[in-house]
Amino acid sequence: MPIKTWELDPNFKNEIMSEAGGERLASCFQCSTCTLGCPITEFVPGYNPRKIIQMSLLGMREEVLSNPDLWVCLICQTCTARCPQDVRIADVLGALRRIAEREEEAGNLKIDSPRPLFDKAFQHQLKKFGRLYDMGLAMEYYPKKEGSFIKGMLAMMKDYKDFGMRMFLKGKMGPLGGGSPVKGMLASKIKQKDVMKKIFEELGEEGKEK
Amino acid sequence: MSVDKLAYYPGCPSEATAIEQHMSTEAVFEKLGVELVEVEDWNCCGAAEVEDPRVVYALNARNLAIAEKEDLDIVTPCSICYYNLERSNRALKADEALRTKLKGIDSSLDYNGTIKTKHVLDVFVNDIGLDEISSKLEKKVNVKVAPYYGCYIGRPPETAFDDPDNPVLMDKLIELIGGEIVPNFNYMKTVCCGGPLMMTRGDIAFDMARKILDVAKNAGADCISLACPLCGMMLDGKQADIEKALDVTIGMPVVYITQLLGLALGIEPNKLGLNKNAVDTKEILGKVV
Amino acid sequence: MGIAIIGGGVAGITAALDLADSGYKVHLIEKNAELGGKMGELAECQMGLSPYIAKVENHPNIDLMLSSELERLSGTAGDFKLSVSGNEIGVESVVLAPGYDIPEVAKSYGFGSPDVVVSLDFEGILKAATVSETGELVRPSDGKRVKRLGFIKCVGSRCQENEICSTACCAYTAKEAWEVKERYPDVEIYIFYMDIRVFGKDEELVAELKDKYGVKYIRSRVPEVIPEGGALTVKFENLEKGTIEKLELDMVVLAVGLLPSKTMGKLAEITGVKTDTYGYIETSLTSPLETSVPGILACGTATAPMKVRESVAQASGAALKAAGLSQRTEPIPGQEEHKFIEVGDELKTGVFICGCEGEVANTVDIPAVAERINELKDVAYVNSETSTLKEAMDAIESGIVDQRLNRIVFAGQSPRECEDMVRDACAGAGLNPYLLEMVNLREQCAWVQDPKDATEAAVDMLKMAAERAKYLEEIPVERYPVIPKALVIGGGISGMNAALGIADAGYEVHLVEKGAELGGGLKKTTELQGPGGEQAADVLKELVDKVTANERINVHTKVKEEEIVGRAGSFKAKIVAEGSAEDAEIEFGACVIATGARRDFVPEGYFGYGKEKNVTTVSEFGKMLAGKLDANTIALIQDVPGEGVTARYSSIEVVDSALKAKEKNPDANVFVLYQDIKTYGKWEVLYKDAREKGVIFLRYDKEKPPKYEDGIVSVYDVIFNDEIQIKPDLVVLSTPTMPAEENERLSKMFMIPLKKGFFMEKPERPKMVLTPVDTVNEGVFICGSAVYPAMIDECLAMSSAAASRACVLLAKDFLETPAMTSVVDEEICAGCGVCEAICPVEAIELTEEPVPVVTFGVTTVVGGTKKVAKTGDGCIGCGSCASYCPSGAMSLRNFRDRQVYAQLDFAV
Repeated sequence: MPIKTWELDPNFKNEIMSEAGGERLASCFQCSTCTLGCPITEFVPGYNPRKIIQMSLLGMREEVLSNPDLWVCLICQTCTARCPQDVRIADVLGALRRIAEREEEAGNLKIDSPRPLFDKAFQHQLKKFGRLYDMGLAMEYYPKKEGSFIKGMLAMMKDYKDFGMRMFLKGKMGPLGGGSPVKGMLASKIKQKDVMKKIFEELGEEGKEK
Repeated sequence: MSVDKLAYYPGCPSEATAIEQHMSTEAVFEKLGVELVEVEDWNCCGAAEVEDPRVVYALNARNLAIAEKEDLDIVTPCSICYYNLERSNRALKADEALRTKLKGIDSSLDYNGTIKTKHVLDVFVNDIGLDEISSKLEKKVNVKVAPYYGCYIGRPPETAFDDPDNPVLMDKLIELIGGEIVPNFNYMKTVCCGGPLMMTRGDIAFDMARKILDVAKNAGADCISLACPLCGMMLDGKQADIEKALDVTIGMPVVYITQLLGLALGIEPNKLGLNKNAVDTKEILGKVV
Repeated sequence: MGIAIIGGGVAGITAALDLADSGYKVHLIEKNAELGGKMGELAECQMGLSPYIAKVENHPNIDLMLSSELERLSGTAGDFKLSVSGNEIGVESVVLAPGYDIPEVAKSYGFGSPDVVVSLDFEGILKAATVSETGELVRPSDGKRVKRLGFIKCVGSRCQENEICSTACCAYTAKEAWEVKERYPDVEIYIFYMDIRVFGKDEELVAELKDKYGVKYIRSRVPEVIPEGGALTVKFENLEKGTIEKLELDMVVLAVGLLPSKTMGKLAEITGVKTDTYGYIETSLTSPLETSVPGILACGTATAPMKVRESVAQASGAALKAAGLSQRTEPIPGQEEHKFIEVGDELKTGVFICGCEGEVANTVDIPAVAERINELKDVAYVNSETSTLKEAMDAIESGIVDQRLNRIVFAGQSPRECEDMVRDACAGAGLNPYLLEMVNLREQCAWVQDPKDATEAAVDMLKMAAERAKYLEEIPVERYPVIPKALVIGGGISGMNAALGIADAGYEVHLVEKGAELGGGLKKTTELQGPGGEQAADVLKELVDKVTANERINVHTKVKEEEIVGRAGSFKAKIVAEGSAEDAEIEFGACVIATGARRDFVPEGYFGYGKEKNVTTVSEFGKMLAGKLDANTIALIQDVPGEGVTARYSSIEVVDSALKAKEKNPDANVFVLYQDIKTYGKWEVLYKDAREKGVIFLRYDKEKPPKYEDGIVSVYDVIFNDEIQIKPDLVVLSTPTMPAEENERLSKMFMIPLKKGFFMEKPERPKMVLTPVDTVNEGVFICGSAVYPAMIDECLAMSSAAASRACVLLAKDFLETPAMTSVVDEEICAGCGVCEAICPVEAIELTEEPVPVVTFGVTTVVGGTKKVAKTGDGCIGCGSCASYCPSGAMSLRNFRDRQVYAQLDFAV
């Protein structure tokens, strides 16, 4: 199907460029440096950040934001480091992910990846405790990913059965983890948890909605 | 030696999956005569999961402000923490409006931009210096090493402190302590381990980590050395899972550079957490003379 | 006083010779111990440049300051004081030609593998392959034969560290690939590129590489070369399939970009010249050779990355500008009139064997050779003491004067480098310069022979030469005066600038223009390209006013044609002008062709042009941009087919208008449809600016051109791999540029070949890069868009160069008639006409001559007439007629049969 430019959203590039990290989008000259250096392309055929950028420039908003490839980026920064035009591709993809998340929350889009769920769970844990709490994160993420608490717990068991035991035996997780009986099993909380709350509320997506 | 006291930011994995990195870092600095003062009540840097730069800057402003009160530069052993600390530090130093805004959110975010942020590798080679370290070495660590640097040491350019494609700081330390760098591993030094996709696309993450392990093994390495806890979780913590899922046998010991350095400084292996690495490290210990 | 030139690369050498040859004192300052610069490092170019280097080294007007650096500069134009490595010199003007350096290459290109090399080093590998025992192209790591070779373009250019396009790499990569394919046809070649930015002959070369040689051009900016399992792995995008593919190569050449010379920062500080954002010396579109400091000129890769050809043109141009600020103080070499000694019957041959600073002496046992040659009975004197050309020339002079030698054999470096100089030395000492025989002992013996055979070979070569020398004959040296006037054909910016340049140097100029007024192609341009673009009309007005006010310039307008006869230094022309009762007759010594180009091909019928109101051309769009722009969606289509060639400015013009449209109407959707964006050099920034302002670029393939039907432009975007449709309010077409109509006539008259109607260089004549404005017809120069449609700065630099070359000629009082020409023995000539037919320069004519009266006893026979060949002016001494003549009547002076046979007798 030919792409009809008059049906696209010419303002989409400006929307991306006004998002933190997306500013340099329009400098792209489609040279393929990002795509050819990207380690993901070996494992996800068709993965092509260069093309995502051209689609964005053309204004193919819907196709870009619903593209599941947005969510396999490793943020390893190889593309950003090598980009001859300083497009900061890793940051541009981050900006696209945030726009997509907002669209999903507004009910305009369904993201075909569990990654926003994970990121959100992570941020939620961080907001609550100020530090990463592996167990808490897993307990929050898996049920959301699998759609129910039971399914989530089963999936978590499957992933963590061997790994968890290994970590437990090495004293990295579980009651004896972290050199003290409580670390690793319980959340390591910081004292000023209220600051975390303020940061997310003022600056995070919640802040934006206000 | 141009440094004797630093603020220490251990990062979240220091309490769990990368406890051996934390232990060895503290032990090595102590042995080198540099005092580490843990940032009091530090909070998470945001890792790779907090994508909004403004939130990252705020999270790190608090840690920077705490160290600034002590008038100490911050050092961290984690590459991701370093990336977030350093880019926040740069943004905050450059942008007064941002500092004012953060201060308005909470007084604990009141950072004036007067300190530096450093990765341990940078501190070892460029601040303490190879000569100084050399003078304190007690043993020879006679191992063949595949030095794996991961992402945030040479990338992105503004926070990098080593070459983006062929970094050398870890190589220098390994050679200093009597180790040997395996040939034909250079091109894998900075290829991502897959860690960021572990929870959402574990299949890809396993393939990526396996490739690094394979190249190191084919190059004849006794072990892989690391400078980042996420790489540690993938290459060491998950190695047995990778072997099982992909039906391969690898058995490649993976250690943090601080652990190798600690051995050369004559520190007792358990104090360096060498009993906590998932893949057995006994063979390496046998080569310390 | 004089002129200081900083930098002894190709640009510095060119400027120095133009100036020194016209009688200016030149101080040539070079930081290295040798001349040649980067070009001297290139395998092939080294050979081309060496005659020029030899000439500089032995030029009486050049003070060569090697291993020297400029430390201080004070004073103003006309009176500069320079401190050069401790020496103080005073000059009137300065030419900066410090050249370029190459960027550091990312480690991702090979991670240290020795099989990944930069292009300069590859030249060395190619050269080594030529002289190695096997002659194979092998890879450095293990000596394995290279079967698959990759070239990666744009390494270290068009990137953050070096924003601009290095311009030269596309062409030199094609040249290297061609050389490999010619010598090693089995090597598979892959060239990775972003845009192919070549013009003219290079465009043809690339087409030939693709079609004839099977070289694969792959569009991908390759960021890494992975050494894995004994091969080099490169990834690229297969745009058709939308996949990423891997290719295993044996060797990879990185076509690295150019950076300003590392010395530039210091040089700018010392001289006070401004540099631009990229570190190059700041010049402008309308004064490409002038720096911010009056009296200091700049040329070559110091002002912008460019090819050798453009560097040389700029250097000649800068020489002219520098000359304009200085006084001529030195005699012009070769202008003295010589009285030659009577040679008589006694043969006194002197043999001079030069060691060439070890280059011969290290391989050939010169004393042994001298001893053997001394034994020859016809050799009167042997000298084997000299090591440099200068010493050798001194020895020859004193040999002629003191020993009364009357045949000279000189053995040393290639005659290409030194024959003229040695002839001058003979003449200076009073010996007819054609009594000289040259032996190329360096290139043809020392460099190629096995050391154990070299001495014996040298003896043989010298014996042959000594034998031939016996039969050399004196050729009379005739001189004729140079008419110190010039004719410039074409009244556009190139012609006007050339005329002004020559006039400012003190010579009278006739400027002929076919139109009713001066101005040429630029009259059709509204605003010059680039930010804050000047109005073309203002630029033109300034030039026209200067030309009109100049008393030395005679302007002839409405000229229909010129009839020109004569040779360098002495031409005659009849100028036929419309409406003029009488044809003007003028005489001149040099001619500059600056006929420009006819503007765009009119794309009648393409994309509905001529029928649809909203389809226009770029130049018409330029005028629309000056007014109010209503269109909301604009599609600019680059590379619309048609008659003519793609101008060097064509892509720049498209990008510039797209950008200006976007600036004028920021909400407009502006699309550029292109095959290759050719914003070479600093124009790359314009391309970046256009993207950042929101212009959308869509790339199409030649095989799938865009269509405009029912108000919709459809284009198959090859990068995107899908068809894209646009509903434009305005379609703007960029079309090829056509040559001036009169080129055809001028080409025939001057016997200067045309290509596609332009005087552009031919691929088979690579030497042209060092003489970009000279033609095969001495005394006739070409410049500007007549050569190839070019940007205004290039036209200005080239026309200054043409003026400079013309002035070098006009500065001479006398020229010598060519000596090595064909002569006919009329008695033997049968008048068959083979020679007339075969002569490439039409210098032979058959004429009816009376047969002489012959008396047999009492009977006197009056023979009537017979046809006889006559050789005339213009003979270039190629010898074709002599070799084809069935009766042996034709011969080439000093290549007569007996001279050649004498040489051959000793060869067998």
